[in-house]
Amino acid sequence: MDIQSVLVLFGTFAFLMILGVPIAFAIGLAAFATFLLFMSFDQSVYIVAQQVASGLDSFTLLAIPFFILAGNIMNRGGIAMRLIEFAKVLAGRLPGALAHCNVIANMMFGSISGSAVASAAAVGGVMSPLQKKEGYDPAFSAAVNIASCPTGLLIPPSATFIVYSLITNGTSIAALFVAGYIPGILMGLSLMVVAGIIAKRRGYPVAERPSGQEVIAKTLDAMLPLGLIVIVMGGIIGGIFTATEASAVAVVYTLFLGVIWYREISPRELPGIILESAVTTSIVLLMIGCSIAMSKAMAFADIPYSISDTLLSLSENPLVLLLIINLALLVVGTFMDMTPALLIFTPIFLPVVEDLGMDPVHFGVVMTFNLCIGICTPPVGSALFVGCSVGGVKIGQVLRPMLGFYAVLVALLLLVTYVPALSLFLPRVLLGY
Amino acid sequence: MTVITRGVDMVLRLVITIAFAVLVACVVWQVVSRYVLQSPSTVTDEMARFLFIWVALLGGAYTFGQRRHLAIDLLPVITTGILRLLVNVGIIAAIALFAGVVMVYGGLDLVSRTLETQQVSPALRLPMGLVYIAIPFSGLCILYYCLTFLADLFRTGRGPNEQEGTASVGGPLD
Amino acid sequence: KTLRLNHNNPEDHPLHKSMQFMAERVEELTDGDLKIRIYANAQLGTQRESMELMQNGSLDMARSNASELEAFEESYGALNLPYIFVSADHYYDVLTNDIGADILASSEDKGFIGLAYYIEGARSFYANKAIHSPADLKGMKIRVQPSPSAIRMVELLGANPTPIAWGELYSALQQGVVDGAENNPIALTSARHGEVSKFYSDDGHTMIPSVVMISTSSWNDLTDEQKEAMRTAARESMDFHREQWDAMSAEAVETAKSELGVEFVEVEKGPFIEAVLPMHEEAAAKSPVVADLIKRIKAAAQ
Ligand code: NA
Ligand code: NA
Repeated sequence: MDIQSVLVLFGTFAFLMILGVPIAFAIGLAAFATFLLFMSFDQSVYIVAQQVASGLDSFTLLAIPFFILAGNIMNRGGIAMRLIEFAKVLAGRLPGALAHCNVIANMMFGSISGSAVASAAAVGGVMSPLQKKEGYDPAFSAAVNIASCPTGLLIPPSATFIVYSLITNGTSIAALFVAGYIPGILMGLSLMVVAGIIAKRRGYPVAERPSGQEVIAKTLDAMLPLGLIVIVMGGIIGGIFTATEASAVAVVYTLFLGVIWYREISPRELPGIILESAVTTSIVLLMIGCSIAMSKAMAFADIPYSISDTLLSLSENPLVLLLIINLALLVVGTFMDMTPALLIFTPIFLPVVEDLGMDPVHFGVVMTFNLCIGICTPPVGSALFVGCSVGGVKIGQVLRPMLGFYAVLVALLLLVTYVPALSLFLPRVLLGY
Repeated sequence: MTVITRGVDMVLRLVITIAFAVLVACVVWQVVSRYVLQSPSTVTDEMARFLFIWVALLGGAYTFGQRRHLAIDLLPVITTGILRLLVNVGIIAAIALFAGVVMVYGGLDLVSRTLETQQVSPALRLPMGLVYIAIPFSGLCILYYCLTFLADLFRTGRGPNEQEGTASVGGPLD
Repeated sequence: KTLRLNHNNPEDHPLHKSMQFMAERVEELTDGDLKIRIYANAQLGTQRESMELMQNGSLDMARSNASELEAFEESYGALNLPYIFVSADHYYDVLTNDIGADILASSEDKGFIGLAYYIEGARSFYANKAIHSPADLKGMKIRVQPSPSAIRMVELLGANPTPIAWGELYSALQQGVVDGAENNPIALTSARHGEVSKFYSDDGHTMIPSVVMISTSSWNDLTDEQKEAMRTAARESMDFHREQWDAMSAEAVETAKSELGVEFVEVEKGPFIEAVLPMHEEAAAKSPVVADLIKRIKAAAQ
């Protein structure tokens, strides 16, 4: 194993990241330092500059700003409220109905907005006062909200899968999207089971039975926002349009809903929403450009193969290796945000698991699921931070009720890892993948 | 300096917003031309991809100017006094190194070489050098912001990662 | 000395095997002095990126095809014209004689030099109906690569050119997003397009070769013996590749017929040739270099 290039790459990256350099630049400089080992100064700057721009040259990638824009338009209006009312109907008369309602609303809202933190903020913001009023422990309600908000990253459409597709040289986005359904829904359901048990033990109230009229009204009210999922996923699964085109259609649909149908957004607000979406997007995109440069530097230095060889020398047993990879990713997830972790570690681990005969779509789901846990853990966890802040509780308080959820999420992660059918069944049936 | 900064901000904002809107229109047109007009456009794909590179790189510069790129803001927060100053200078220097050397110097080399060899894009026959100009341009803007951040640091002690008001939490895709 | 060669095919692809053959021969001929390390699956970048890297000497070698190369060196445009070759033998003749060699050498000042052509068969239309003449193409949406000559050709034949990414093409054909596509018969089996397109109409409009190249600066760093070894290995790998490809192509046709039920349609090429002939004049009018190449290629057919 060529230890020098590994040290230069990860050493530079770690040093700069700890110093506080924005991650995108830290990645770019680490790539640059690694290229210097193989070529002249002029050639190194040339290749990094090229990769930063050219890494973004992908029609697929366009889906990210569009989904973010559609999500931002959605977040303006009263979509969250409509979905929560519908979730209440679905949660019905289960013990701790409001906790279940929170999970279901996160699954629906997260699916549409594709953002765990937006979901935690929008749904948690409405749900936590309601739960407090009914006597729920605020730390418990915050924990439910935090643990369930990442479901939307697995339930499609999901920008995370688009990033994964890009760095894996075009793993089918349609397949990844469809593969996310069962693990994402299982994630939500298992959290509901745990929350239900706790709620029952603590005697949290069930909801009042809604009248038939209410059920119909609230269901109808949620249909238009949920129609987005039908259009996007129906279009993709039906092969009518690509993920990118679907995302553009999603923008048009949300514009129609927000500006014309609900009249919750005035056209004057649009430039601001567009700019905000561009800013949010370019944080990711600069990181992607630099990461592409880094993955090329790794390829030049044969780093993925070195690491793959090292891992394979540890054990021949695929079950053990997958366990090691999952543990490594869980550790990474504690201190790193989802996107950089995905960008940096996918090119390293994918060759290993492909050697083990794992399907790249399956691994994409495992990786995303794993990092979904990471955004709920301290010290760095965006879902944890947002969930605590909208729930009005301290991080220290929420960790105790989170323990049970961590346990069920890790158990489910192992299930998703070792039972490929959970991910691959739907793509095979629906897409002939 | 604040006047120039406001000017740079405004130009970037304007270009990004318009380019983004055109981008949406481009892809929507691609769908419409195929399904409604039954004569698919052959250029929207490439146009959108190149526009997107511009939006991403200029957006990256503007976002940097807004101090919104993701960083692990640990050292600048726990250190004090001269050490904190050094850490913040180090951060700005590292970013300036990337922007100046890789984006501006390397980017210009890429631009001039692709212009020199007259390389064109497949569909639009657009000189690729024009697409790549976004790199040095973005690098220049970032360099400029680095300067203002440095001035800020010495004048008010504000570090390059410190946003105004409350910072937004989390990665954009989380 | 080890040269890095980047390409975008998987490791089980015939193109990869031919490059491997070339690498082995170079190593043998130089007694291990010169090695070629092949990076498959575009690990070091796309075809366009590889070209730009070779121009700067950041990458030693790459494989691309004449269609993509047209953006870097106009001479390759002559090879992309429909019906410029009258037969597979004429085609291979041109690639292996001085015309082919001149095109390979033409890009030296652009930062790269061609070493070998790898044939990829003739491309024809396939769809869910037989296409006997350009009239049958009228109004059909045909998937093309995003190159001006491909777009122009399909337009001249009366169809609507539709650029769709290669990876999306299967479902696009299945759902009728496009009515047809054009490629060599191997696409029917390797990309399973034979499952969704049941008629392969053998009009053989274009024969577009892959090209293996070396960066001019890497080339100049080689000794004369090493250059000679590279040339020999490159030439030998071309024949190796042709045999490999023809065998695979024949096998693909058989599989497509027997297992996928694709019908292969014999086509009277005359009306197709007539329809796209203006392209030869257009290309010649645009560039004297290409005009000269067209003349020489046509002369070689006699
Ligand atoms: Na989603
Ligand atoms: Na974490």
